[in-house]
Amino acid sequence: MLCRAALRSLLCAHLDCANAQLSFGAAEGGKPFALVDGRPVDVGFNVSHSGRHGLIAVAPTGRVGIDLEEHVTRGDFDRLIEAVFGPDEQADLAAVAGDDRIRLFYRLWTLKEAVAKALGTGLSFDVSHFQIPEAIRSGESRGVLWIPQISEARWQLTAIDDRGFAAALAQEISGTSH
Amino acid sequence: MSTTEERVRALVDANLDIEGRTAGQPLTLDLSIVDAGVSSTDVVAFWKVVCEEFGVDISAEEFAELLTPGDLIAHLDAAG
Repeated sequence: MLCRAALRSLLCAHLDCANAQLSFGAAEGGKPFALVDGRPVDVGFNVSHSGRHGLIAVAPTGRVGIDLEEHVTRGDFDRLIEAVFGPDEQADLAAVAGDDRIRLFYRLWTLKEAVAKALGTGLSFDVSHFQIPEAIRSGESRGVLWIPQISEARWQLTAIDDRGFAAALAQEISGTSH
Repeated sequence: MSTTEERVRALVDANLDIEGRTAGQPLTLDLSIVDAGVSSTDVVAFWKVVCEEFGVDISAEEFAELLTPGDLIAHLDAAG
């Protein structure tokens, strides 16, 4: 509820409109888009929650996705790794252990989830079909992703980690928006 | 022999934390597990557990359409 109110406040400030003028529609797949006075406006936004924390991303143009996950030790990491990560990603995860493995798992997971959310496909897009760029897997905070089987769009990926959480932002930087 | 609903309920009890529900309660058949506060990591883990338990191969795209217990049970019954 607080995230929704904060999102409305941010969008109203960005779009220079009153709260009553702002409404939301849903695209195919359920991804919401903003309308002002009933007309769609060119602004990207996305929201993520994990536990008691939330993040909001607003982009002046293009699609954007954000994801936030608390670092939680799970007994089924191996099953998840096999389900969603490609061979290079799996090799990187196999090369680390303990807290480093947990951190890398959530870094890669949030990046993939952010891309899926930006695309508006949610869970229906099998994220094992693409791999996070090697630079980000190796510790860089930013990198560019292209998924040729999906579209011409290039995505600026940004990893935002701390000791307890992983967060990631995917922002469309070129290509067609659809 | 357990029904599909009983088997799915046991998997939900063991693997998912659904807002407002405690283990052993009947499933709300038309409530999406995503809308019930289940995280993306738990949804993906649940997808793989269901495939293993029932010996079926459900793609990510298919599973995204089976996020209510009712839809999942109907799919598994049809597949079985």
